[in-house]
Amino acid sequence: MKRQIVSFTVNGEAREIAVAPNRSLLDALRTEAGLTGTKKGCDVGECGSCTIILDGKPVNSCLVLAVEAEGADITTVEGLQAGDGSLHRLQECFIECGAAQCGFCTPGLLVAAKALLDENPSPTIDEIRFAIAGNICRCTGYTKILDAILLAAQPAATARAQGVTP
Amino acid sequence: MKAATVIGKNVRRADVLEKVTGEAMYVADIALPGLLYARSKRSNVAHANIRRIDTSRALALPGVKAVLTHENVPRVLHAGSPHPRSASVTPDQYILDNKVRYWGETVAVVAAVSDEIAEEALDLIEIEYEELPALFTVEDAMRPDAPQIHDRGLGGNLVLPPVRVSRGDVARGFAEADLIVEGEYEGGRPTPAYMEPNACMCQWDGNGNLTVWISTQTSFMVRGIMAEVLGLPYHKVRVLCDHMGGGFGAKQDLFQSEFLCALLARETRRPVRLEYTREETFLGGRSRHPVKVWLKQGFKRDGTITARQARMIFNSGAYGSHGPGVTNVGTNGLTSLYRCENVELEGLCIYTNSPIAGAFRGFGVLQATYALDIQMEEAAEKLGLDPAEMKLKTAVRDGDYAPSGHPVVGHGLLDCIQRGMKEVGWAEQRKRTRDTGVQRRGWGIGCEMHGAGAQPAIKEQGNAIVKMNEDGSVVLFTGAANLGTGAHSTLAQIVAEEIGLKFESVAVVHGDTDVVPWDIGAFASHTTSIAGRAAQMAAAEVKRQLLKHAAEQMEVAAGDLEISLGEIRVRGTDRTISVRDAVAARLGIPSLQFVANATNVPHKSYSFAAHFVEVNVDTETGQITVLQVVPVHEIGKVINPIAAAGQIEGGIQQGIGHTLYEDYQIDLKTGRSLNANFVDYKMPLSMDMPPIRTIILETAPDPEGPYGAKGIGEDPIVAIGPAIASAVYDAIGVRFRHYPIKPEQVLAALRAKEVARSTTEEGVHA
Ligand code: FES
Ligand code: FES
Repeated sequence: MKRQIVSFTVNGEAREIAVAPNRSLLDALRTEAGLTGTKKGCDVGECGSCTIILDGKPVNSCLVLAVEAEGADITTVEGLQAGDGSLHRLQECFIECGAAQCGFCTPGLLVAAKALLDENPSPTIDEIRFAIAGNICRCTGYTKILDAILLAAQPAATARAQGVTP
Repeated sequence: MKAATVIGKNVRRADVLEKVTGEAMYVADIALPGLLYARSKRSNVAHANIRRIDTSRALALPGVKAVLTHENVPRVLHAGSPHPRSASVTPDQYILDNKVRYWGETVAVVAAVSDEIAEEALDLIEIEYEELPALFTVEDAMRPDAPQIHDRGLGGNLVLPPVRVSRGDVARGFAEADLIVEGEYEGGRPTPAYMEPNACMCQWDGNGNLTVWISTQTSFMVRGIMAEVLGLPYHKVRVLCDHMGGGFGAKQDLFQSEFLCALLARETRRPVRLEYTREETFLGGRSRHPVKVWLKQGFKRDGTITARQARMIFNSGAYGSHGPGVTNVGTNGLTSLYRCENVELEGLCIYTNSPIAGAFRGFGVLQATYALDIQMEEAAEKLGLDPAEMKLKTAVRDGDYAPSGHPVVGHGLLDCIQRGMKEVGWAEQRKRTRDTGVQRRGWGIGCEMHGAGAQPAIKEQGNAIVKMNEDGSVVLFTGAANLGTGAHSTLAQIVAEEIGLKFESVAVVHGDTDVVPWDIGAFASHTTSIAGRAAQMAAAEVKRQLLKHAAEQMEVAAGDLEISLGEIRVRGTDRTISVRDAVAARLGIPSLQFVANATNVPHKSYSFAAHFVEVNVDTETGQITVLQVVPVHEIGKVINPIAAAGQIEGGIQQGIGHTLYEDYQIDLKTGRSLNANFVDYKMPLSMDMPPIRTIILETAPDPEGPYGAKGIGEDPIVAIGPAIASAVYDAIGVRFRHYPIKPEQVLAALRAKEVARSTTEEGVHA
């Protein structure tokens, strides 16, 4: 199939890649853009391993065609760290709480959690459960993942309780 | 003994930074220059001879580089479960056979320049089958006139001769009983459903050396079996496995794909990567063995068990895989948990044309415990006893013998039951008035004991090399796989503790069979005890070498020195020298290379647990919801509390899954899989998980484990099932003897109960 040029921004960097029009964004990111942090657990939208943020919304990148991402702004797990290499608070909290075991679901979960916190900086535990309901983790029982996201949200929650906008 | 400084504490896992940044490379993330992509063609019949297979159209497709079928691969019989020279090996597989034994079996593979082309080529392969009658249930496969699925001479589609366990006098035991309870129990087909689909990549160099990148729990087994099947000396095969996305036992097997990937790479002289899709991970992966258990026990009025008789039938699916091991462990598992002198057990493992069952967390113990623990509840009810009290009374304890023949150390099981009863206010729970509305709550208890290690069936061995660097830091070389449990950090903690270093001063090298010492693999809940103990032994020797050297420098006796967190101190004084200074002769050059290799031939230790569960049953929808779990585990010594709790919580998640909904199903007419995806194969998600209040006890340390540690990996999946079933009984008065317990079954049972009651009320005896 004839390849098309698609341009988008990934983790703040403008990219131009050539992809077949039937290629998923997940495959394009992994193969063409060399960003293998995003994982393929099912390729049909069932597991959430491939979650990325596309124009502010968490999506399963295996369900998006690469050509549909023309002009989009994309964040993958590789984009969570700051430019100086320091970890995102969510990453710190995942480490601290033991929220990653085999780690295969971790990129998708971190990205889903980031999308949640960007939108709702102090979610309740049920809001967190709901936000990651599409991300399967087979190792952890979710307990430590929920702990980690809750912990990451804490400064915001504390700030809100004190009437301060974070 | 000095106070522990590194073990028993939560450390920052060494492998986790890569995992949260997306830098961790799993096999499918690695691409070599010139990489080809392989895909598998799978059968759409369950049992057939392959009459004709035509690959010419596939080969003619531009971009296709090679196609392999049974006609052009070596025909070497081997075991898919690669434990060499152990009781659990059944050589019954070819790389590709001229016969198909289950729906979805690989019949050909294609390597092409892209995965799309490889996929396209699969449709161009033409196959003519001569269909054979297919047998999907053990009942069908055990009929005297059933066709043989394998031509192995055992007859009756038996994978192995029946396992028989007999001790005491069962007839006398039953004669002495005040009550006899008998029942049939059944377990479905949950699958491990690890998140990383199976993947493998192979490359040959110009000297005929093969490198295999693979997601496996057993790198050295993979190396051995691949070398033997491909006819290579071991040193020509190098197996690499860094990060892996879970395995839960099932990634101990070989899946045909490893050989095929290597052969495709050899034929094309390019690196080849063969990945399974999610559907293929179901089809060609391994599930738990579906089981039927007939169990009969005799009881004294006080709850003492006088006799136990059982027959377990495991459905192995199309190949033996871990069937022999599971059947042995499961059948013997029925001698355990609750004391009984008179036992007569039989275990059968049967070939069918179903998906292949293999090793999965709980390995036979789960199936045995489900039946045993639920029957205890039935007996307690009939005897008018509190089930927790009755389990407590009969629980195995110090001085008893475990199924493996090893002695039970300590009162671990009793401790777990007692602690849990206190924690949940068991006595009060029993006394409360039962719900009568639509929503009904109930409490249940389930117990288990699980061995760390596969002894005596497999002769196990753990190895470690510890090498001190010129700055006083150390490297641990271990063959233990990076399954996701955090085992490497646990091993590093043990090494740091043993030498007297900070956790951060220990690096772990793993995942390369050319570099690390031999390892049996990460399974059987034994990594901490086997590889951990070996690491401790090697570390102790390095410490001895170091202290000998430091003692000369400090002009004292080595016995007067102690090390803590990188400081060597003359006992009882403030004369210290850092490990770093003791090692370095000059900056950057060690005075001596301190290094040690240790081999640990372990015995087997048993961990215990009691799970207390509260459920809600919706009597209008049949929905069972687990409201909370209080797992109490006794594991000897906790090396890393957060990792241990993580194992427990994850095990409970999988246990809730198989008890309530996980069941990989096939169409009983064709053998076609019905739910090989994550929508139709329902697993617990974040919304389904209850709060878990984990309690870990250290009351029965294993003297031969590292610092007394035992195993934890499999334990938490075992007790949760019977605990849920018992809680459901407590809630609605219906006893289920199978898993999964589905809402429609709950409704049907409630309706049947209603009918039974109304007919009784009318004075009619059914
Ligand atoms: S890989 Fe996209 S949802 Fe599973
Ligand atoms: S950590 Fe393994 S799937 Fe989530």
